[in-house]
Amino acid sequence: MTDLDTLRDQVRTWLDAEAPRDWRAAASHEAFVASQRHWFGKLVAAGYANPHWPAEWPGGGRSLAEQKVIYEELARADAPRLLLSFVSTFHAFATLHECGSADQKARYLHRILEGETWCQGFSEPGAGSDLAAVKTRAERRGDVYVVNGQKIWSTMAQYADRCLLLVRTSSDGVKQAGLTFLLMDMKAPGVTVRPIHQIQGDEEFAEIFLDNVEVPVTERVGDEGAGWAVAQATLASERGLTLMELAYRMRGAMRRLCDLVRANGRGNDAGVLRDLGRLGAQVDAVCALADRFLENRMNGRERLGDASIVKNAYSRALRAWSELGLRLGAMAAQYRDAISFGDLNSGNWMADFMNSYAWTIAGGSEEVQRNIIAERVLDMPREPKGWML
Amino acid sequence: VSLDRDELQDSARKAFGEDGLVPDAAQSWARLVEMGWFMMTVPEDLGGLGMGPEAVGVIHTELGRALVPGSAIAQMVAIEALAGHGDWLERAMAGEPVTVSLCHALDADRAGYSVQVAPGRVTLEPIATATQRDTWDQTRRLFDITTSGDGIVLAEGAEADALADRLRAVLLIALAADSLGAADAILAMTIEYLKVRRQFDRPLALFQALKHRVADLKVALTAAEALFWSCCTPAARLVDLGALKAHATSAALRVAEEAIQLHGGIGLTAEHPCHLFLKRILLNRALGDDSDYWEEAAGRALLDASSRA
Repeated sequence: MTDLDTLRDQVRTWLDAEAPRDWRAAASHEAFVASQRHWFGKLVAAGYANPHWPAEWPGGGRSLAEQKVIYEELARADAPRLLLSFVSTFHAFATLHECGSADQKARYLHRILEGETWCQGFSEPGAGSDLAAVKTRAERRGDVYVVNGQKIWSTMAQYADRCLLLVRTSSDGVKQAGLTFLLMDMKAPGVTVRPIHQIQGDEEFAEIFLDNVEVPVTERVGDEGAGWAVAQATLASERGLTLMELAYRMRGAMRRLCDLVRANGRGNDAGVLRDLGRLGAQVDAVCALADRFLENRMNGRERLGDASIVKNAYSRALRAWSELGLRLGAMAAQYRDAISFGDLNSGNWMADFMNSYAWTIAGGSEEVQRNIIAERVLDMPREPKGWML
Repeated sequence: VSLDRDELQDSARKAFGEDGLVPDAAQSWARLVEMGWFMMTVPEDLGGLGMGPEAVGVIHTELGRALVPGSAIAQMVAIEALAGHGDWLERAMAGEPVTVSLCHALDADRAGYSVQVAPGRVTLEPIATATQRDTWDQTRRLFDITTSGDGIVLAEGAEADALADRLRAVLLIALAADSLGAADAILAMTIEYLKVRRQFDRPLALFQALKHRVADLKVALTAAEALFWSCCTPAARLVDLGALKAHATSAALRVAEEAIQLHGGIGLTAEHPCHLFLKRILLNRALGDDSDYWEEAAGRALLDASSRA
């Protein structure tokens, strides 16, 4: 047995005993969040919450191959996804680890493992795909920055303790140059959070309104005006594992479609079988693609833009998966059922279908990924910078 | 023999990538023989190189990429059928053409014998008559044949059906690989054309509407390639290889269709190779049972597996 097999056995045995089975039953978002906190605590204690952290941290020091094993097993066990702690363990960790001061690292990293949750304050109503267009202002007054503006699409910000905040400190020069990166206390006076009601009934994202919020200068990451570079470190923190995990979960959830076909007595309908078989190959292809992407990363063969290919392949397959369920669900899928929080493949077909748009829009829209693929992978000419009316 | 996929790919691309598209059939055949590629999948104790289906994948990807004419696909299937049949295997590995009923008797006029696959019976039979059919794909030649029936029995009963499944597996892998190689080539040609062709004082490649279309093609093709290599194992089930062939030919067909559209008028001319790719991929889609058949079978297999679990 290889070391990876041993790890797989350990993780599987632990998950068989410890993975909650009833996490989809949470009746409210608050109950779901409570279950997320509980599950994260158990994973931290077992050493499976932060395998990508350096070895000096408990649970850290795992190779990418080991991380992949852990995520494969989480998907296989149908354990809850780590949504609430995602930004803290990946984005906040990477930001602090790569760019934070010694003081900031000492202050915050251990708190993440103790369950402090973070959100990301990047997008704004006027800065979505064009992130550098951030307008939220931070003005230096003595030892503090005074921040005014609005952030949006911040995952679970309504439950967050702290925020990775990208603000504008200058309007001179190219727009990237005027950005600064701050760590903001979400309980500070002047911070108002309003959950966004999504079309499937969830409230996974929130808006953050900032009204004369004071952030100590000691909470700045990197220099003033270096925010764009810090934000790149934040965004580069997770590339590949999540999509692999989600692809594997979708493959596991082919079972839901099979159950639906049987329940509707369509198991001998050639048209339905073809759609099922075609989708099965599409989903298998995404799993193979995510595997290959990670393999290339491990071998140092990842190319710029490869992650965009995986993301677009996954998000389209997710759309197709949920669309087939919605179609086969027919009238039954038109009646509202309670939604499962934190699950892209819940079998509540309308909710899953509406939710699948999140992956063609969030985290860099499908269209932005297409630009990246065309320009970086296929070496086609870049978009002209200027624009004339 | 351990296979380094990249090394094999390099030598295959060198062998077939330098004479342009649709190289000479006889020369291509001689090159396949010379490089020992018909021995690749044969076990070492039978005089072969003992390489797995990955090797088949690599070679046929390159044959598709260059639109190599001839019956290499039939030969690979025939060699699988002849394994363990001493002299027959030797001769086929050395390049004596043998055709196969599963491949609609590709290049039957060059072959003395055909591997005939029927339920419960796989035979090697002398070809009595071979009539070439006029096919849309100009890079392969299909035949209607009659055989004299006094050949040798390669397998009977359950053994024959198991052999037939192994032959189909080789065929499906080769067809999928050929299609993906062809699609990769035509996608690269299309992108190159978009970069060079200028209209409205700019290269077509600057138009986002066109960039997005080729980006989508790249996504579909890369995913199909990943599926292909994940299926290229001796343990793959036939139904999964069938689903792979359907998926790969569908992705490849999308690329080839779009290639003609994106080339504009020139893509409609017989002198431009776009149509050769399209027609070759369409033949691949039809050979080895069509996509409807395989997709339905794959759906049933999924359903069966989930009811057992």
